[in-house]
Amino acid sequence: MTQLVYLVPLFPLIGFLINGIFWRKMPKTAGGVIGTLTILASFIVSLGIFFEVKNSGTATMVHLFDFINSGKLSIPFTFQVDALSSLFLLIITGVGFLIHVYSTSYMHEDEGMVKYFAYLNLFIFSMLLLVLGGNYLIMFIGWEGVGLCSYLLIGFWFKNRDYTNAAKKAFVMNRIGDLGFLVGMLLILYTYGTLSYQDFFGQLKGGQVIVSTSTYNWIAICLFIGAMGKSAQIPLYTWLPDAMAGPTPVSALIHAATMVTAGIYMIARSSALYNLAPMAQTLITWIGLATAIVAATIAMKQYDIKKVLAYSTVSQLGFMFLALGVGAYTTAVFHVMTHAFFKALLFLGAGSVIHAMGGEQDLRLMGGLGKKMRITQITFLIGCLAISGIPGFSGFFSKDEILAMAYAHDPILYYLGVFAAMMTAFYMFRLYFLAFTGIFRGTHDQEHHLHESPWAITIPLIILAILSVVGGYVGLPAVISEHHALASYLAPVVANTGEHHMLAGTEWMLMGISVSVSVLMIIVAYVRNKKPAFAPNTGVAKFLENKWYVDELYDAVIVRPIGAISRLLDRFAERAGIDGIVNGVGKLVGWGGDRVRLLQSGQVGFYIFVMVLGIIALFTLGFFWIR
Amino acid sequence: MKAIIAATISGVILMFAGILVKEKKNAVTLAVILLLALLGVNIYEVVSTPAAAPQAFFNNMLRIDRYAVWFNTLLTGCTLLYVLLIGKEIAKVGSHVAEYFALICFILCGLYILSGYNNMLMLFLGIEIISIPQYILAGSDKKNLKSSEASLKYFLMGAFSTGILLMGITLLYGATGSFYITNFTFLQADSLNVLALAGIILVMIALSFKVSAAPFHMWTPDVYDGAPTAFTAFMATVAKAAAFIAFLRLFQVAFGSLSNSWTLVLSVITAATLFVGNITAVFQQSVKRMLAYSSIAQAGFMLFAVISVNAIAWQGIIIYAVAYSVATIGIFAVLLKLKDYTYDGFNGLAQKEPTLAFVATIFLLSLAGIPLTGGFMAKYYVLSAAMQQGHLMWLVIFALLMAAISVYYYFRVIIAMYFKPGNPELNSPVTQTDKFLLILTCAIVLLIGIFPQLFLSV
Repeated sequence: MTQLVYLVPLFPLIGFLINGIFWRKMPKTAGGVIGTLTILASFIVSLGIFFEVKNSGTATMVHLFDFINSGKLSIPFTFQVDALSSLFLLIITGVGFLIHVYSTSYMHEDEGMVKYFAYLNLFIFSMLLLVLGGNYLIMFIGWEGVGLCSYLLIGFWFKNRDYTNAAKKAFVMNRIGDLGFLVGMLLILYTYGTLSYQDFFGQLKGGQVIVSTSTYNWIAICLFIGAMGKSAQIPLYTWLPDAMAGPTPVSALIHAATMVTAGIYMIARSSALYNLAPMAQTLITWIGLATAIVAATIAMKQYDIKKVLAYSTVSQLGFMFLALGVGAYTTAVFHVMTHAFFKALLFLGAGSVIHAMGGEQDLRLMGGLGKKMRITQITFLIGCLAISGIPGFSGFFSKDEILAMAYAHDPILYYLGVFAAMMTAFYMFRLYFLAFTGIFRGTHDQEHHLHESPWAITIPLIILAILSVVGGYVGLPAVISEHHALASYLAPVVANTGEHHMLAGTEWMLMGISVSVSVLMIIVAYVRNKKPAFAPNTGVAKFLENKWYVDELYDAVIVRPIGAISRLLDRFAERAGIDGIVNGVGKLVGWGGDRVRLLQSGQVGFYIFVMVLGIIALFTLGFFWIR
Repeated sequence: MKAIIAATISGVILMFAGILVKEKKNAVTLAVILLLALLGVNIYEVVSTPAAAPQAFFNNMLRIDRYAVWFNTLLTGCTLLYVLLIGKEIAKVGSHVAEYFALICFILCGLYILSGYNNMLMLFLGIEIISIPQYILAGSDKKNLKSSEASLKYFLMGAFSTGILLMGITLLYGATGSFYITNFTFLQADSLNVLALAGIILVMIALSFKVSAAPFHMWTPDVYDGAPTAFTAFMATVAKAAAFIAFLRLFQVAFGSLSNSWTLVLSVITAATLFVGNITAVFQQSVKRMLAYSSIAQAGFMLFAVISVNAIAWQGIIIYAVAYSVATIGIFAVLLKLKDYTYDGFNGLAQKEPTLAFVATIFLLSLAGIPLTGGFMAKYYVLSAAMQQGHLMWLVIFALLMAAISVYYYFRVIIAMYFKPGNPELNSPVTQTDKFLLILTCAIVLLIGIFPQLFLSV
């Protein structure tokens, strides 16, 4: 089965090609069915692979063809099938499939539905390439592919200027990160002469190439800059909230199953490297924590339902990086998985709400939707409980593990983490109460149209809700069970260093603290939003509503100065300097051509004369120059 | 060996068909069938020739190895593609359609000899077998004065260069007492006598003429421009590749160990060829004439394979010959659809015939050597062969600069097709078959660019 792994990305590629080539002519339904079935096929193959890897526990390299063979450099096109990649395969194709099903209904009114599915398939294909690649270059191909697809999908409704700007922003931010990734990759190649994971980690372990710790740190930090862009960490996070411009299922896909998890995957994959780079780890820890807190504060004051969720994603990603930073790679992957379930659920739920509201996204105009949309309400509530870390739901297990790991590393990390988790519970339930309880605040017309969404939307919601509950039981806390299923599954691939050997009492206490503050915040959120009043924000609240003015800051400090410098260079260096040189060379070539052309007189005698001159010249050269 | 016989028989059959077959269409069909058979014979030879041991014929005057038959197979494939794409246009040139195809078969026969000769007499024979049919093809449009002029010019200058070739062979015989090219390796580089060196340079000059290298290229623009376009496409591609394999074979097998004594002379020829071909192409107003100069420029790149005495050069010439031939045949097929051969004649083609414009773009990109197309890989191989020689760095850099200039004149056509308004007149409507064949050609160009190894797998 593992030898058939090429099928997994092949199916979405075929789907992309069919939909992409015939998108003008194909009926919408056909496009949706093709797009969805290809992902289902991938999912089935992924399931088979997953269980095979689970049983054998070994990593398999599947060599497809030689990609680059040039001198000493040899980069084969190889897929690495092991515990980590097979788990990601399941998340990507599984959640991806549900999102495809959902999209068949959500996008049905749209003119470009077939094109949409083509992009969606390409997105999944790129992501699969990213996680399957057996070396950094293939990962990079997928990495770039994901960036491209996010650009295409965020700007899917390209007639709206703001949306295309959002797409552009996402692309540019990602490019900045990609540059870091590229530099890191070249550093690896330069130092170790290989990009393959096996060779690279083998050399790290064997220590044949003696390098200083600072080299490890540089490589690790460069790669992390790539992860910052893709996984939306400070300072490159601002694109993710703007990425809401795309259709809602796309947001779910970007935020849950693909794209943003790429950075986490990459660092977990490179765990052997990061364990040798303590400075990079510290950097990751603090950036992750800062992101978790900043994004959570912003989310508390947003009124756009998708914006709240977007910032919550940024915040949750911060948690994952916190786990990576303290060396708890398995825990980060665990949170990726549970987050994939409940965040996809929340986004798709939000999509269902927006669908029912006729495109309205402002929380101030919702309220009381629960009465009309019972399934959406219940599933959404499950999502909220899961993300808030209420015991019994998946988010509890993974988030609690992150916090415990952080405590073991340094208690201060734990307290700051709990602070962020507290805000999470608040903003999620603020969103829930504003949208689903109370009285309806929109127009009468909207109220009339409120309805539960069709089955293609509700069924994915229900499945995701179930997963959001049970997904956490693969990793029970140490005090409850000795056996951590996920950790033992990932153990051969991921080199964890973060461990906690703490007393059962301490662990119970930590759990107790985080759960009780979350419950407390839910109550606060209920009290504050029972009868909401929307006075204009002032002071700190206004600061938060405007997202710490980070966009404005970037605009003033980076975008505008660069614009000014560009204009200056354009006027002087470009037009006067470079254009002058280029045009000068062009004119010179033209002038020369005009002269040489005249030699071509059409007279055979003259031609033979030139030939004879040439013969004489070459003989002179051959006889006198060399001898 | 079987391929040489088969090509000759095909030629004879086609000559008889000239009397018997009255319909032009039937002559084209017959030619396609015979070429298919010829391709089959070649493939059979690839399979049956052992990889290591070359097979000797005629007192060892021919030594045909696996490499040679593979080269033959690929170029026979190119010829088949050429006849499929341009066959209809060949039929329009004059009334002796079957004879034209017979001449093409004879040229193929010459190619098979040139890829496997082991004796200077065979080299001479092969060169003449590919040259004489070309003189006739150039003048096949008898009522057109330009065509007749081209034929006469080509013949006169060709005769001149043949004289030089014979002179060179004579001097080499005088120096070594042998016609067998493997015997020349007894010559020593440091004690090379005047006779042998003069012989080498004369043979080099004669072969430079055949591959249209400067300063012996003067015939090329006039002949390629004057000859019927359908035949220019063949003369500039397969026939030229045949001359190149002969050139390469001689200088690698026979004079490879003496490379110190001739590398400089040949690199001057290469530099001059690149310069003249590219610089003059910039100034042309007719796309057909531009392609004539571009074929000189491309010959400059192929000369890199001759200069570099190493294994990559052998691979490079295969990739270059095929990539260049396929793309050039393709662009000529597009050109033949148009009434007006000037750049302005291409204006607005993208609007009127998007498929035609698209495939033409791919062919031009390949000729310019843009990555993902065959042309890129071809340039990559021949230049890396030269890089491996070590001391030819200056020439490689010069070639890259010249390649940059070539982008100008190739892209002018693309710009005309896509960005200039106009309503180009077509000679004949573009049928579904045409489109299919053009897209197939396009696919081959891209295939070479992505999987060059496929074309080297012998």
